[in-house]
Amino acid sequence: MKRFDCLKFLASLVDEHMFAVTSLSINAPFWFNVRPQGPNFFALNMGLCLPFALGLAVAFPKRKIIAIDSDGSLMNDSSSLITVADVNPANLVAFVMDNGSYAFMSETFTTRRTDLAKMAQGAGIANASTVTTLEEFSAAAKQAMESTGPTLIVAKVERDAGRVSADRSRTSGRPMREWFMDAVRRHPDYKGVVG
Amino acid sequence: MDQQSVQVIIETLKEEGVDLAVTLPEEPTFSLTEAMLEDPFFQAVTVAGEGNGLAFCAGAALGGRRVVFVTGIAGLLVGTWALSQMGMVYGAPILILASYRGDFGDHSGIPGSQLLMFKQVAEPLLGALRVPYRVVNQKANLKRMIQEGSFACQDYSHPIVLLLSGEVLW
Repeated sequence: MKRFDCLKFLASLVDEHMFAVTSLSINAPFWFNVRPQGPNFFALNMGLCLPFALGLAVAFPKRKIIAIDSDGSLMNDSSSLITVADVNPANLVAFVMDNGSYAFMSETFTTRRTDLAKMAQGAGIANASTVTTLEEFSAAAKQAMESTGPTLIVAKVERDAGRVSADRSRTSGRPMREWFMDAVRRHPDYKGVVG
Repeated sequence: MDQQSVQVIIETLKEEGVDLAVTLPEEPTFSLTEAMLEDPFFQAVTVAGEGNGLAFCAGAALGGRRVVFVTGIAGLLVGTWALSQMGMVYGAPILILASYRGDFGDHSGIPGSQLLMFKQVAEPLLGALRVPYRVVNQKANLKRMIQEGSFACQDYSHPIVLLLSGEVLW
């Protein structure tokens, strides 16, 4: 199963008002290629994607919040699974794109004994599962988007052949933040005043 | 922290519209976080780690929620990775109330070697992370410092730390 195929299908399920948050490295440019517009927060560094998405889930309780995390990132702060379980947001759908490696480098622990879906279940996220084919991913993603969460789906994807290009001003740092805030300020549910 | 400080903090946070309270319990601020948990005005969230707590606060804050993170120096040390990312990189307006463990007056029973370390690293740490902070150690200043800290974090669009010490905390 290829990451890009999964994200392309996922993008087809996401409407203009849904939020998406991605981890660093591979997920960010891939997601930019399939969903360049709308409220996207790209490229959060190690361990920060899932809890940041949880914060958005609390700020926008009526909208689906999609976290597109990775195995290396989630393992960096797996205690966020416990926080998610305890907050128990109905609108959070987390995808862990598990390619079993740190970007294009060495293997992560999920190639050996570590099972992130079981860890999520143990943390208290009842709707946590692992999928290994695009058909399974599509069915699980569709169901998650139509159901009450939180849901966590570990997608076992192939190692990526290489990076894809993406506009860095849209996918990283302060410029990306400003694109995101512009989308947030125009969001019909936004009640804040953040500059 | 005594009930007088707890009351002033809660009252001022309410006036500032801060209604999301995030914490990982620690002894000096426990009475405050317990009071927040019991007060229906606040959505009170206990996190399993300070790093994910700060990232959670950032997501909520950039989404428009007014948020306070209650922690201590140890929590700030644990959360430095998230604090640097959410502050310097993304400018998330998070008001942080931190017990100033190890400051003069801390007789809480933690070994002196720990207290000294907290005292030695707390302010240089915040300086290194470029996080604006104030030490708040007098009750007479508490309300105003929270008001000004709350305004500053929104105005700067950046985390702000109030280090609670002295008669405010001990």
